[in-house]
Amino acid sequence: MPQITMKGVSKNFGDVTVIPQFDASIDDGEFLVLLGPSGCGKSTLLRMIAGLTGITSGTLGFDGEDVNEWTPSRRGVAFVFQSYALYPHMTVRENIAFPLLMDAFRKWHHIPLVSSVMRWKLMRRPDIVERTNQIAEQLELTPLMNRRPASLSGGQRQRVALARSLVRDPSLYLLDEPLSNLDAKLRTQMRSEISTLHQRVRKTFVYVTHDQVEAMTMATKIIVMNRGEIQQIGTPDEIYEHPANTFVARFVGAPPMNLLPVRQQGQQLTLEAGATFTHPGQLPADKELILGLRPERLRLQPAEQPGIPVEVSVVEKLGAEVILGCRVLHPGGGQSGDLLRQDLVFVRISGNPHVAIGTRASLGYDAAGVNWYSPQTGKALHPAAAPLLSCSA
Amino acid sequence: MTEQTLLERPLAVPAYSARTSTARRRLNGLLPYAFVIPPALYLLVFMFWPLGKQIYLSLTRTRLANPNRSTFIGLRNYERLLDNPDFYTTLKITLIYSVMAVIVGVAVGLVAALALNRPFPGRTLVRGILLFGWAVPNVAAALVWLWIFNERSGILNTIVTGLGLERVSWLTSTEMALPSILLVTVWQVSPFVMLVMLAALQSVPEEVKEAAVVDGADKLNVFKSVTLPHILPTLQLVSLLVMVWSIRRFDIIYLLTGGGPVGSTSTLIVKLRQVAFENHDLGLSSAYGVVGLMLALSVAAIHALFNHRRQKMSSR
Repeated sequence: MPQITMKGVSKNFGDVTVIPQFDASIDDGEFLVLLGPSGCGKSTLLRMIAGLTGITSGTLGFDGEDVNEWTPSRRGVAFVFQSYALYPHMTVRENIAFPLLMDAFRKWHHIPLVSSVMRWKLMRRPDIVERTNQIAEQLELTPLMNRRPASLSGGQRQRVALARSLVRDPSLYLLDEPLSNLDAKLRTQMRSEISTLHQRVRKTFVYVTHDQVEAMTMATKIIVMNRGEIQQIGTPDEIYEHPANTFVARFVGAPPMNLLPVRQQGQQLTLEAGATFTHPGQLPADKELILGLRPERLRLQPAEQPGIPVEVSVVEKLGAEVILGCRVLHPGGGQSGDLLRQDLVFVRISGNPHVAIGTRASLGYDAAGVNWYSPQTGKALHPAAAPLLSCSA
Repeated sequence: MTEQTLLERPLAVPAYSARTSTARRRLNGLLPYAFVIPPALYLLVFMFWPLGKQIYLSLTRTRLANPNRSTFIGLRNYERLLDNPDFYTTLKITLIYSVMAVIVGVAVGLVAALALNRPFPGRTLVRGILLFGWAVPNVAAALVWLWIFNERSGILNTIVTGLGLERVSWLTSTEMALPSILLVTVWQVSPFVMLVMLAALQSVPEEVKEAAVVDGADKLNVFKSVTLPHILPTLQLVSLLVMVWSIRRFDIIYLLTGGGPVGSTSTLIVKLRQVAFENHDLGLSSAYGVVGLMLALSVAAIHALFNHRRQKMSSR
């Protein structure tokens, strides 16, 4: 299993720079997720690792060896495409066995007629038959072996694509948004199947997605990308709990992290709307700050208690939890700003507390759950120490 | 207006709407016929009626001098055909010409399409130049080729003699006439094949080709395993079209050789003209036409059979 290193890797398409400079490494057996919005260059990066797209500059290394000029087949990778890319005229069996056939194919097999005879013979070679059957059994494809992709469901096609990538026992699996064409239920099921597969084969997986739920549930390490640049590298917990900047804070999490621009005066924080409240912990030195709070870190309290004064504007009942969208109130009691221009402050509450729209309340939080960002750079700021205090009564 | 009248008004509207929607439904029901009738009439008058007339004529003794006085003779014309050794020669020439036109024309067109499917500077210009043969009218093309093939002043013989070889009788020797005509046919047909195959090649999903590359396939295997199966239906259709066109091609052959020398380029259609307008035998010439029709229909039937089989396979 190779350790993959990318040193100063960049990619230009004509005058357009898709990836300016990329430096990262992927360890053996890791499940790395490249996460980012559409057009951020994550699929291009994956294709460069596979050898399907050339590298403009920089070095891609497998175990320290420069593989920039290696062909995709020499790199020994498996690639699962977003569209599955199954061979439509071949049966499931032929699709799965295809990489094995190509491994056994020799140049002289191209001679007319010999080619057809050799393919026929190779499809019946015991080791190829056994390996194909074994993989099909693992992915519960045995009853579908003689069917063609056109007659399979999305989930079945996805499993065939996975089986085809598994059959050669590659050292590196590259998956390009493989679940994006599936419905929500099937996506959840396939997510756990891919995680199980990773645990079973213990190989390196590089998985591209724009879906942060997929990233959080499957990854051992996430690289968040935007406009071809790395925003943060970390474990799912690090990415979620301590986003490196406001982009990561807003991109990871649904609903996203609440980012409230505040001005500090001692322990007092004043929101743009004018409301003032006391922060229950240490603060960074800057006067102008962005207060970052995950929705589940906020508590809905009676309006009389100290905290951020809000009015509930949206109630989304999700069964096991409720998402409240709140608008910050002016000191006089009115809502702040324009209805559309002003971001909602989201609060996640377990169960169903039956909160009505229009309810006025105060939002409390613990200092430990706060992230601070610079309004100028968007980067995270760190207070000297953050004691576990609460701003609620 | 009383309250009762006000209540009645909404009732009157649906009654009116119902009438309108019934009329509209009837109109909608007739609309497909309005679209189908003109082409159906066209086919009836210009295709099926002459076809029926031709089949009928093939069963009669009819002279060109008096086409309205025919005597029904059953299958006598077909018996004459089968008893005539010239018919088998004509049939053989037609088959050789058509099959070779398909093999060489489609192969050249496909290779050109594969070359043009790769990006290179000036690709659009080359594509335009290659289409020239298809765009030139048949008569103009035949006249140009007559000059090219000219034994004394033609460019081909100028090249041949320039290479120190003897002049070739391109259109006047029995050995060279059919290959020469095939050359012109390929020149005319291959740009069309190229254009259609280029469209088919451009619809091959890039990701499937890339999947084959990742799976270890070399270029030839990518072509055989991904590209060829994808373009095969188009290839079959184009082959069918070229075959049918070749069976009924008249102008190029007639203008270049007139079926000669010694009948060496006399295909069914050229022979049909000769029997009808030189031998004045409309009945026998119609029998030639029916044989040509049967040949074209059997090629189409084979194509339909392949198509049906493929669809059945892919839905399994």
